[in-house]
Amino acid sequence: MQRLLAFIEHNFHFILFIILQIICGFLIFGLNPYQQAVFSHSAASVTARSNQFSADLTSYIDLKEQNILLQSQVSEQFKNAPNNSFRFLQDTIDVKDSSSRPLFEAIPAQVIYNTTYKANNVFVINKGTDNGIRKNMGVVSSEGVAGIVLRSSAKYSVAMSLLNTDMKIIPNINDQEFFTEMVWDNSNPHTMKIVGINKLEKIKEGDLVYTGRSSLLFPPGIPIGSIAKLTPKPNSQYFDTYITTATQFRKLAYVYVIINRDESLITPLIPGND
Amino acid sequence: MTRLLYWISIFALQVLLFNHLDLTAFLVPQIFIILLITLPLHTKKIYQVLIAFGLGLLADFFVSSPGIHTSSCLFLVMLRMTILNTQDLKEEIANRLNYTARNVGVLPFSYTVLILVFFYHLYIFWIGSIGAINTYNLLVTTLTSSVFSLTVIAILQFMSLSHARE
Repeated sequence: MQRLLAFIEHNFHFILFIILQIICGFLIFGLNPYQQAVFSHSAASVTARSNQFSADLTSYIDLKEQNILLQSQVSEQFKNAPNNSFRFLQDTIDVKDSSSRPLFEAIPAQVIYNTTYKANNVFVINKGTDNGIRKNMGVVSSEGVAGIVLRSSAKYSVAMSLLNTDMKIIPNINDQEFFTEMVWDNSNPHTMKIVGINKLEKIKEGDLVYTGRSSLLFPPGIPIGSIAKLTPKPNSQYFDTYITTATQFRKLAYVYVIINRDESLITPLIPGND
Repeated sequence: MTRLLYWISIFALQVLLFNHLDLTAFLVPQIFIILLITLPLHTKKIYQVLIAFGLGLLADFFVSSPGIHTSSCLFLVMLRMTILNTQDLKEEIANRLNYTARNVGVLPFSYTVLILVFFYHLYIFWIGSIGAINTYNLLVTTLTSSVFSLTVIAILQFMSLSHARE
């Protein structure tokens, strides 16, 4: 017994180390693949505020105000853009009220936390359910598609970045929808990959990739990236297509959350969604 | 008081500057581990473990990485104990000195720091990418971040040596 007590006393630091590592194990693995997102969400506003403080400290105050002003102007223009509206025909009926109403609305937000070096990258924005943001809304930057909202609290939301191995998006190249998935394979923070484009398709390096009409999350015509490399797969009829993302994720600072106003009306009409 | 100020300065540098370098995805230097590496040599092992746990938890709090920095700091402090056991530091322990290049000599200090910094970065990036480990990315990130951290640590130690000579 004395030997046992002496052993414990002599190695107490090691026993403590093991116990604390087990606690760390619970913290790391208990919080699932999206550990960052979950932690950011559950650690609530304290962590988010410290990130906000850090972001505020490193940005020029005047530049920030200018950016916010610019964001609200872009948001307003986005709302009125013809691509994002339903136009009601007026040639047979005289409609006296507004001739168009916006389908999509853009809520400006600031990125206060962002990762780009992991397999499942996420970013946190300073807008939440108080601003009408909910799960599964598209997020775009001024350059192009940035991600999809995963979850929201009252003041903050966590979005899955395009640089996430779980992200799948349907590309539109040369006004043609390709019903294959564009994914990130965790090999390069600027490059995504499309497999399954037939070699007979008339696409070439440099062609731009946009969002199409197969998603209710983004308006059609939002840039996703451009074709960087087309590699014919040997003994196959398909290309391996590498896309350089339009959004510079390491510099992601300001984004817009896309709200589809009629999503709840459209979704039940689509077969398989009822 | 000076030591507390030094700890706060190094940690603030890490949280406010090095965590936001944004030069490349392969560069995520962890400078604050110098605080654990240079802990006083007479510090009891159990306190070293507790300090590593607390510091790691604080680092996790600022970058929203639950358990990752904490686990890595614990790993670092245990590795440090193992390496220091192989060095003759009785005199330094008796004089209650910190483990620095000035107190133990540049060569043994460099040897220890090189191993600790490299394995700390390897460990933290490995844990961070569990589930989707890309060996190439892991090694490149570890090497670039380690080289950067070692450079900053060398500058800090050089400043300390120069200050001592004056």
